[in-house]
Amino acid sequence: MAALCRVRHRWKRTNCIQLLTRNLTGTFDYDLVVIGGGSGGLACSKEAAQLGQKVAVLDYVEPSVKGTKWGIGGTCVNVGCIPKKLMHQAALLGTALKDAQKYGWQITGPISHDWSTMAEAVQNHVRSLNWGHRVQLQDKEVKYLNVKGSLLDEHTVKGLTRTGKEIMLTAKNIVIATGGRPKYPTHIPGAVEHGITSDDIFWLKESPGKTLVVGASYVALECAGFLTGIGLETTVMVRSIPLRGFDQQMAGLVTDYMEAYGTKFSWRSVPKSVDKLSSGVLQVTWTEEQTGKDQRDTFDSVLWAVGRAPETKTLGLEKVGVKLNKESGKILVAADESTSVPNIYAFGDIGEGRPELTPTAIKAGKLLARRLAGQTNELMNYDNVATTVFTPLEYGCVGLSEEEAESRHGKDSIEVYHAFYKPLEFTVAERDASQCYIKVVCKRGGDQRILGLHFTGPNAGEVTQGFAMGFQCGATLTHLKETVGIHPTCAEELTKVNVSKRSGLDATVTGC
Amino acid sequence: MWAFYNGRTQARGKREGREAKSHGGYSKKRLNPMAHRLLVRRIWTLSVKDHRCLPASTSSFSTSLRSSTTPLSLLSPKRTLPRSLPHTSRREVSFNVQDHEDFTERVINSELPVLIDFHAQWCGPCKILGPRLEKAVAKQKGKVAMAKVDIDDHTDLAIEYGVSAVPTVIAMRGGDVIDQFVGIKDDEALDSFVSKLVGQ
Repeated sequence: MAALCRVRHRWKRTNCIQLLTRNLTGTFDYDLVVIGGGSGGLACSKEAAQLGQKVAVLDYVEPSVKGTKWGIGGTCVNVGCIPKKLMHQAALLGTALKDAQKYGWQITGPISHDWSTMAEAVQNHVRSLNWGHRVQLQDKEVKYLNVKGSLLDEHTVKGLTRTGKEIMLTAKNIVIATGGRPKYPTHIPGAVEHGITSDDIFWLKESPGKTLVVGASYVALECAGFLTGIGLETTVMVRSIPLRGFDQQMAGLVTDYMEAYGTKFSWRSVPKSVDKLSSGVLQVTWTEEQTGKDQRDTFDSVLWAVGRAPETKTLGLEKVGVKLNKESGKILVAADESTSVPNIYAFGDIGEGRPELTPTAIKAGKLLARRLAGQTNELMNYDNVATTVFTPLEYGCVGLSEEEAESRHGKDSIEVYHAFYKPLEFTVAERDASQCYIKVVCKRGGDQRILGLHFTGPNAGEVTQGFAMGFQCGATLTHLKETVGIHPTCAEELTKVNVSKRSGLDATVTGC
Repeated sequence: MWAFYNGRTQARGKREGREAKSHGGYSKKRLNPMAHRLLVRRIWTLSVKDHRCLPASTSSFSTSLRSSTTPLSLLSPKRTLPRSLPHTSRREVSFNVQDHEDFTERVINSELPVLIDFHAQWCGPCKILGPRLEKAVAKQKGKVAMAKVDIDDHTDLAIEYGVSAVPTVIAMRGGDVIDQFVGIKDDEALDSFVSKLVGQ
């Protein structure tokens, strides 16, 4: 034991001295140090290592207010896309079980859902992904350090371990990919003490019970969606509009579906306070903007989904001179992800004006690594990025919303084709398909270039992905109409759009 | 991490009179991590079966906790566990590794040959292999010990031994890796593996 201690101490001293000498001679410990081991950080560091760079990635998860923490992989793997999609799937299966009886399946007893079973399975999968990332870093020879990184100067990064120990690294280039964390509405009494966020919901061991979801972002709607789907009484509290930034007609269809399928909505309401009663339940008081009246109800859980804040506060950016956007707090970046400091780069959720998506972070990270290694000059193209909101009725889109197209080109210069369709699978199941809808926004006249494509329906993500490629290739309405549909699918309805909004004709698809 | 390598060599150096024996099969002294990984991969590709937890895949097996791991894993990684002095021989045939020092003491410095079972909470096949290993070890009536390493609790250790997929089982004697396998083995194959380690 004593021998071990001695060896460690000797190593530490030698290492520090070595660091000093290296700095003086101008060479660095690493070619690249990446702060943040999420979707972007990992992609960037692995790509750089593959190109022969000496890379270190620093990842550290500050526990949430409720104490939740997780392994390497960032938001997507641990508290975002992955657990979200799995729980969304759990909810969809619940609906499928109900439909199944109409299709002849003999289901004897009542169907109920056990949160703990689902949570354990989801959490186990996430842990296997944490491990997978760890192995990949090892295989690609990226040094991984579980430390909280901050900048000391433009070439020096300080890392703080969980136990408070400090380590120093010097690097030729530094990349910041620390992402964001959910915001708490700290001005609401009781919000921090009694509420949870998306950081916590996926790691709960026990069911959240009757839940109030505050917010109308896709995080709020997706969470409320699967909570309702697994049988929990769920209410969404919306201050103004749902899915800000998305096509509002489509957003309305998404929330209409959710309301029809059992999610309660408290529109134009703002929470005032959260109190914990002696029974343990949470009492929420809120104001209805329309009437000005205060309402009150009790919930087992309150989930805040009121926005995300960039993780920049503890990075030491001000000292080093990295400029931030004053309003958002995100790092100001150029088209090549560079910051105001020459050898410091930032990308992913932390970059101002960047989409908060995993695939863009991964691609941007890889391209950045290639540029830093001198392999390419290619910049990341952030246009034409397709996305999908995984609400109970999924919504996939690529390109501009109708509002954005109108504002950019003028209402008279665009033509909007649309259709209400019914998925074949809904027929036997006797399900309401009123919100299953397609919208193709095109330039009016000429080749009728497609400006935006919108789809609500089952498997929206799978449907939209293929059309996104066409969009990337500059697809026109003619291309779309020349494409023969696959039958019977929901996606084929996109190839059959022919009723324009301008015509005022009924857009409901009838039979084959 | 480098301190750990050094530390381990130091501890091993302390054991006087022990020579590196050649044991047939993978007969080198403990392989460097890189060679280890290549070895593991070679075995993995040779014995491609479905009963493996790849890092990125999920298992479809039940997620019931292995009762043998629960009690001790709840206690790790606390160092305040009362532990017997290094010199006294370990009575337990099967145990959960607590930390690096524990591993050095009870596995590398073990007088008995040791089976190291690298497993994970989230790994279904591990829950199948675990009880089978216990059975195979019990059959040897104290001639072999089994050290269980949860790769999430002891990631550095797992990485050092080149574990990429779980379950990975390493057979060790005198601090040297004698043999290893990845994935599930049936009872017969396990008995043969363990017997080989014991030297029968």
